[in-house]
Parts: sequence; structure tokens; C-alpha cells
Amino acid sequence: MKPLNLIALLLFLGGATWALTRSERAVREIQGTYYSAMRPFLKTGSVLENKARAFTDETHHSKELETEVTVMKGEVGRLRIIESRFQAMEKENAQFREALNFKKATNFDVVAAQVIRRQPATWWQTVEIDAGEKQHIGTELAVLSNEGLVGKIDRPDRDRSTVILLTDEKCQVSARVEGTQEVGILSGQRGNQGRNPQLRLKFLSKDAALRPGQRVYTTGRGGIFQANILLGTVEAVEKGALDSEAIVRPSVNFADLGTVFVVLTSAAP
Amino acid sequence: MIRYTFITVLLLLTAFVVQQFIPAFTGLYDSRILLVQLVFLCAAVTVPTPTMLLLAFIGGFLWDAQCALGPQGGDPEIYNMPVEALRFGYSIVLFGAMGYLMHGVQPLFQQGKWQFSAILSGIAIFLYLAAEYLLISFIRGGFIINRATLEQMLFTSILTMLFSPIIFWILFTIAKMFDHSIYPDADKKRRRS
Repeated sequence: MKPLNLIALLLFLGGATWALTRSERAVREIQGTYYSAMRPFLKTGSVLENKARAFTDETHHSKELETEVTVMKGEVGRLRIIESRFQAMEKENAQFREALNFKKATNFDVVAAQVIRRQPATWWQTVEIDAGEKQHIGTELAVLSNEGLVGKIDRPDRDRSTVILLTDEKCQVSARVEGTQEVGILSGQRGNQGRNPQLRLKFLSKDAALRPGQRVYTTGRGGIFQANILLGTVEAVEKGALDSEAIVRPSVNFADLGTVFVVLTSAAP
Repeated sequence: MIRYTFITVLLLLTAFVVQQFIPAFTGLYDSRILLVQLVFLCAAVTVPTPTMLLLAFIGGFLWDAQCALGPQGGDPEIYNMPVEALRFGYSIVLFGAMGYLMHGVQPLFQQGKWQFSAILSGIAIFLYLAAEYLLISFIRGGFIINRATLEQMLFTSILTMLFSPIIFWILFTIAKMFDHSIYPDADKKRRRS
């Protein structure tokens, strides 16, 4: 090897070691600088991506849309019935609160945001939204849609944020299965690409008696996600020697994310 | 030579900007055109080792700045088995390894046979993605590979490779503009004949 090449290689390895030993805080600062330099291009990139998506949506087959409308009509009817039941329950709840002199304990403040970029990294399941530090968004805040939990904030920037989706292996959520005492940790699975991602609910009891169709909610433990947010429904149960795992279908359609809501108050640990 | 080196660095930085405008193809298992990696690979074969390593450092460093995820967070009593993430800076090493791979066919490239380098860029992208995936599997434990992942890697490599002639054409044009020879052997032959 030529001396110049050897010196270059040693310098390269030194530089790589320096980068590999940066602290989390230093990495965040580097990322902050990088994203502030990229901000003007990111904005234009997002606009183009959204325009392309809108164009593709418009070219949807009309029959497909007709089917969707029929399904949605049915769903609206079902939700109306549920809503009327909820109204009655709300009334009853208000009466009970009054009777107990109940004080509002939590402040569930949300910020609405639009998904402006999907899947910016190769292996991580993430999206970018058009709200950031300007809207008081910080790290590790829960992100919801009207269907359930979407994920959590990974990196807020001035006017945009990266959301790590529930379908990513790194987004872990403390979860419970309705109608049972079963509690576990829900997360995405590696290689979850495609339109039908599945989640895995781990660390359930060995003899967990779960049925397909049972709903899975957040427990509120762990300091990130509030309690009782819908996560998905149980599809199957895999029994192991020491514990069981459930395959969960997420309640949110991640392929069709539009408006999301960031919960500004972090859950108490 | 210095002017060409400077331009290749600028080209790599431009690739980072253009990459923001290239969405993932959701219909193809989130495959994408990895323009940054492609520009690096094509430039790597046209420059000597020290410049290639400089490009690898810049490319890997900025790629990680763009993609690195933050810590998991939450109460460690509840989330007591956190999912590890790749350390910031791993891409620098991967870029360097890919650069050395491209340098393996530099003698052929210098004879004017750029097509080999174009094909190798696709192979290098596939190996890069496979290495990334293996690293993730290694630090997180449990090797899971399914058809979707393999197809994502395959389509990403093919889609990216298809753009390599355009990148080589840009590099040839730049070299010509600055009167720099990236085909020294082929040029010598031409002069002799």
C-alpha cells in the first residue's frame, strides 16, 4: 500500500471512530444542524411528494371508490349508533363527576398536523409531519389518528417533526388486551414493509386466553403513551414455553395517513 | 485534479439535496433510489483512494445525520428490553467498504470499460443494504428475513443501478470541463494510436 493511501486510511478510521463515539446529545446537535441546512429543500420535496400522491389518489378506479363509499356508509351508520350510546354515557358520567366533586386530572391537549413525507429512511418506519417545536412539540410525545395510535415523536425540528410509527420495531408500547388481565409490550416487526403490517404483543402469560378480534389498548404505563388508546385487534396467539405472544393487526391504516394529532402532554410515568 | 475532487464533493452534497425529492415506492416494498450512495460509488471509481475515503466520510456522516433515530425513552422499568439502534457513524464504515469494492474494478474502468462499474454499483448497493440489515439483526438479535425485505433490497439495487449511466455521464462531462482524465489508460492508448 502506498504511504499516502495508508495515511488516508488511518485518518478515515480515526474520523469514523470519532463519529461512532459521539454521545446522543452530540448526534442530536449534528442532526439539528443538518436539518436546518436542508430545511428549504425539505419543504419543496414534501410539496412535490404530496402532489404526486394526490395525483395517484385521483386516478383511483371509480369502482374501488364506489365500494369504499358503500363500506363507509355502513361504518357511519354503525358509528351513529355507538355515538348515541356514548352521549348517554357521557351524560351519566357528568352526573357521577358532579356527585363525586371530581376534578379534571389530565390535560389532553393536541396539535393537528399533516403527514408531509413518508418513509424517508430505508429501514425505519417513519413519517414526517408539518408541526414542530414552534407548535411546542417535543420528543417522545404520542401521535394519534382518529383510528388509534400512530406512533411517537422521534425528532422535532422547528416546523416539522419525525414520527416513528407503531409498525417499527423500535416503537414499543405497554399494552393490555380488553376483557383480560393480559399486559405486554407491543411493537412492530422487522421486515414490516408492505400494506398490511402486523404488530407483535410480547411477554403475555404462558396460558394467555386470547381470542382473535379482541382489542388491544395502551395501559398508560411507561411514561410516553396515555391510557386507553386503541392499538389494534388480536389476530392470532403463539404459545411459547415460557410466555405467549399475540399477532396484532394495527387499527390505523398506515398506508393512508393524512391528518394526525400530537398529544402535547406526556403521560405520567 | 483538485478542481475535480472539489466538484465530486459538491456533487455528493447535491445528491443529498436531490435525495429529498425522491420518494419511496410503496408499491415496491418501500424501495427507493439511493442517489447519495450511487453518486458516491460512481465518483469513487474515478478518484484515487484518499479522495474516495474523503467522499466516504462525508457521505456516511451526512447519511447518518439524516437517518439516525433517537433513544427509545420511556420508563426503563416498563420498557426493560429496549430495541437497540445502529450507532451514529456506522455508514461511514459501510461507505468506505463500498468504495474499496468499487476500487477493485478501477483498472477496468481506467481502460474505458465503465459498464462493469455500472453493474458493480448495483451489486455494491445490494451488499450495502444486506450489510445494514445484518448489522441491525446482529445488534437487535433474531435474524428475520422475509420475501418483502429481499425484494426491497433487490428493487432498490436495480432501480439505483439504472441511474448509474447518468451519473457517469455527469462525471465524464465534469472531468472534460476541468481537463481531467478519469480514463488514463484508455487515453494513453488513444494517443499512441
